[in-house]
Amino acid sequence: MTESKEIKKTRYLNPYIGGVLLGLVLLSANFIAGRGLGASGAIKSTIVATMTTVAPAASERSGFVKEFRESHQGNPMKTWLVFEMLGVVVGGFLSGAIAGRLKFKVEHSPKITSRKRLILALTGGVLFGFGSQLGRGCTSGSALSGMAVLSLGGFITMMAIFGTAFALAYFFRKNWI
Amino acid sequence: MKPRVLLALFTIPLGLIIAAVPQNKTKPYRLTADQLLEEVNTRTQYITPEDVADMIVNKDPSLRLIDVRSQEEFEKYSLQGAINIPLSDLLSDKYTDILNQDVKMNVFYSNGTVQSNEAWMITRQLGYTNNYVLEGGVNYWFDAILNPQKPATANSDEEFAKYDFRKSAGQALGGGMAVQFNDNQSASAAAKPVIKAAPKKKKASGGC
Amino acid sequence: MGPLVLNNIISENTNLFLAFIIGIGFGFVLEQSGFSSSRKLAGVFYGYDTVVLKVFFTAAITAMLGLLFFSLFGWIDLDLIYINPTYLTSAIVGGIIMGAGFIIGGYCPGTSVCGASIGKIDGIVFVVGLFLGVLIFGLGYNLWDNLYMVKFLGSPKISQSLGLSDGIFALLLILIALAMFTIGEWAERKFPREEY
Repeated sequence: MTESKEIKKTRYLNPYIGGVLLGLVLLSANFIAGRGLGASGAIKSTIVATMTTVAPAASERSGFVKEFRESHQGNPMKTWLVFEMLGVVVGGFLSGAIAGRLKFKVEHSPKITSRKRLILALTGGVLFGFGSQLGRGCTSGSALSGMAVLSLGGFITMMAIFGTAFALAYFFRKNWI
Repeated sequence: MKPRVLLALFTIPLGLIIAAVPQNKTKPYRLTADQLLEEVNTRTQYITPEDVADMIVNKDPSLRLIDVRSQEEFEKYSLQGAINIPLSDLLSDKYTDILNQDVKMNVFYSNGTVQSNEAWMITRQLGYTNNYVLEGGVNYWFDAILNPQKPATANSDEEFAKYDFRKSAGQALGGGMAVQFNDNQSASAAAKPVIKAAPKKKKASGGC
Repeated sequence: MGPLVLNNIISENTNLFLAFIIGIGFGFVLEQSGFSSSRKLAGVFYGYDTVVLKVFFTAAITAMLGLLFFSLFGWIDLDLIYINPTYLTSAIVGGIIMGAGFIIGGYCPGTSVCGASIGKIDGIVFVVGLFLGVLIFGLGYNLWDNLYMVKFLGSPKISQSLGLSDGIFALLLILIALAMFTIGEWAERKFPREEY
């Protein structure tokens, strides 16, 4: 009698179907609002809102806030991206709930500790947050949405992100595999 | 069948179609017929030759004269500082930035007002603002500004003021001599059309 | 005729509400495809899981084709769509920093929120890091605002820069993407890793 070793696999949607669905979401965003999806912009909105609330005088002098105000008048939290990101939280939660994936855990390779993973996550977050401001977008806003509208800037940023990640992958392989 | 192959079967034909079919370059109308009729009835698009002359003489940088006649007519005679956008080329891509903006005041002119009005109607329907029509066109310009008729002595002061202004403007524009304005000139320059600070031309914002 | 909000077919408030709905769709699809897992996301760089590649490019192609066909049918005015501007230097430098953040942290902003929403603590920590990163950028803005603002090239399209029409470029991208998918699936068979 042979026993087949079951490889534990979480059931996820077929990536191509997922891709088509995501493309349709992106298409509807462009059709309705004339813009693509995004994520880092919502974080920028929140930071600007916090800065102006906590230190209004200093914020008005800040170049960062001024640059934000050039394209967003009114309440920084009442923007398309903030509402969209709130939706992402709900959508992700719903999907996780339906698939039974709701669980507090730190996802890390067995070769590193939980603590190390969290430190890496924090570092990665800080880098990504900073970089997304310079790059005027993250993978959702610049790369994905940018590609869909054939933006050159979006394409360049995407190449830079993935190129760098591939180049550095070797040095961080112990954390993942 | 493998999903990837299925995807390929779907997207490649679509890609071929979209690559082969020429792009849809039609510009949609932004104004309804009713809205346009209302504007036409109130004659908001007209600007008088006196106002234009005043702007030229004062070297007002916001003025941009656009000659919508053919190139030959433009080369034979054109108003000071005018550019030539023949009516037949009005919708060409290279002129979109000139016609669709909110910094300068574009004044269409032609020999009379037929062609300039045609240009105005088309651009207005596309939703462009800050485009105007020179009342009377080149023909009236000659009569009114460059060769003004002295009004009969019985006419009002205003007529005389207009005449004085036109004469001085005509001198400045025709002969490039130093201009003498008397104080009466301010009365005729009163109703200068204001550049509409673009009524919220909605632009998509995005990023991130 | 789209885009709806820019042609005043829907109001600004409806737009914000719909943004929320679109976000739900976004988050749902992301999580369903496995983007809430940092391990799956990092997989594309080691070959064992190319879900990022497949979802990303399929989505880009779908949306691109969708927009081009909508424009063909007169359902959308492409001139009004937001096209990301190109600031050459900051696009590259920002991309490099983000790439480092990606391989170290294993998330990107959208997916980290997704991961956080199903309880991934590393996702939550990544989001905290994002806030810190943006804050650092904002506080020290004057130090790098020069880098941020130079080399503004407008908002050119890739097809314009290559001298191709949009449609031909779309076809090209489809072919390239399908080729990448084939390589990706080969890599997945060659470098399998167990899930954890």
